[in-house]
Amino acid sequence: MSALREVLAAAALVAGKDLRIEARSRVATNHVLPFVAVVVMLFAFALDTEATTLRRAAGGLFWVTVVFAAVLVVQRGAQLEQQDGAGEALRLSGLRPAGVFLGKGAALFVELMVVEVVLAVAMVVLYDLRLGGVVLLVVTAVVATAAIAAAGAIYGPLVAGLSGRETVLPLLLLPVLAPVLLAASRAFEVALGRGVGSGWPWVGMLGMLCGIYVVLGALTSGPLLDET
Amino acid sequence: MTDLPTPTHPAPVDSTGSRGSRILGAIAAGLVAATCFYAFVVTGPDSQLGETVRILYLHVPSVITAYLLVAIAAGASAFHLWKRNEFSDLLAASATEIGMVFLGVTLVTGMLWGRPTWGVYWVWDARLTTTALLFLMLVGYAVVRSLPAEPRSRATRSAVLSLVSLALVPVVSRSVEWWNSLHQGQTVLGTSDAKLDGAQLFGLFLGMVSGPVIAAWLLMHRFRVAWLAERAEELGLDAAIAARRLEAGGDAAGATS
Amino acid sequence: MSGVVATLGWDEVGGYVVVAWVAGVGAIGGYAASVVRKGRRLSRQVPPESRRWM
Repeated sequence: MSALREVLAAAALVAGKDLRIEARSRVATNHVLPFVAVVVMLFAFALDTEATTLRRAAGGLFWVTVVFAAVLVVQRGAQLEQQDGAGEALRLSGLRPAGVFLGKGAALFVELMVVEVVLAVAMVVLYDLRLGGVVLLVVTAVVATAAIAAAGAIYGPLVAGLSGRETVLPLLLLPVLAPVLLAASRAFEVALGRGVGSGWPWVGMLGMLCGIYVVLGALTSGPLLDET
Repeated sequence: MTDLPTPTHPAPVDSTGSRGSRILGAIAAGLVAATCFYAFVVTGPDSQLGETVRILYLHVPSVITAYLLVAIAAGASAFHLWKRNEFSDLLAASATEIGMVFLGVTLVTGMLWGRPTWGVYWVWDARLTTTALLFLMLVGYAVVRSLPAEPRSRATRSAVLSLVSLALVPVVSRSVEWWNSLHQGQTVLGTSDAKLDGAQLFGLFLGMVSGPVIAAWLLMHRFRVAWLAERAEELGLDAAIAARRLEAGGDAAGATS
Repeated sequence: MSGVVATLGWDEVGGYVVVAWVAGVGAIGGYAASVVRKGRRLSRQVPPESRRWM
């Protein structure tokens, strides 16, 4: 039982550290949120200012934006590890690697949820969305974001310290997030009244994806922490 | 199967070939010739697929071979994370690269088969979508391997990447399959609907044996290339260190570096 | 169903078949050539003692 306690303690420590850094540097708020707002507008330019098109595609557009924002946020997290030997300190700290992974994932989760709330507001306003199925929307968002955060917590450290990581991370992360994008978009479509069937099976799939990413992350956290 | 040149040998072998690889290569060449013979001469056009069936003698073996290589790579990666030896790392990298080539061939031949039979180059069904995503993951792997990094660190990153990618393949496949099932009226487009006669089956069988044999031959050479690259890198490093020592020895009495 | 076979005869789809085989064999053959070439080049850089694979 104490091993679990150590993992959770390490997670809390790392999550707290990452979130405190974010609170001080405000990268997510000052860089990513404006980016997200710009993307929302770009879709209107690219597709159609006619509200019906945007409303029809809103479910998918939301998650595409979240996935791109996630790349930025994960990128930022990886960058932080490189500064001032923070990564080295983490490795030498003796913290449980699985805990470090969970902590990083938790911090990413919080940052992404903040981004999503703002994004949702922007879309409702700009695309004239009528929100229905709020429970489905919220649950989908929580589970999908957890899956994205877990994947980010694997791939962020994986590319940390590599030259050329800024351009490599999207190539690695996005294919992996494709099933999350698929399931979350379909669930959102159902909630917004445009989908086929029930949205909850998609939430189930998201839960499974989240579980897979968390398990993979926990298993690979040890080797990655040692070597990178 | 080592081919160390003996001291009495007049000159060292200047290639990654060996007796074993040459035998394998000859077998591979023979099988390919036999497959082509069956694909173009022995068999006629299919009753349902017409002349397009001839593409399948290349397409099906290449996808089987690609999956085989990806499985080898994943196994080697897992082994590497356990034992941390160079052999498993280089094997994983070689298998992944060759798998990427075969998977690319699969996608292209698949598209060229799909255009005349389905009318479109691409459909978003589970199989194609998963194959395309897997291909992109393999490209990602190749890119990560190409970035400058310490061999040990690179090996670990690659191994993790390989295993995570492979773990997600069935997940992607299932989710796309399900997605398509929700759209009523989506016709199921399959290649396995065609009934094959004896000659066709044998041609396909020949292909499916050729593919892995070619892959094995490629794997031998590619592994050796990777091995030599590591040795050359080490030699380069040794030379640089030696040169630096020489400089330092010269500067010892002089100014600080 | 013979209508299907007629539309999938050599005149209609022969091009696709040829391109597919040329592309496939070309890609694999080209890759093989580049691997062997690289092997030759590296073999010359590394002294014989270190060439022992495995």
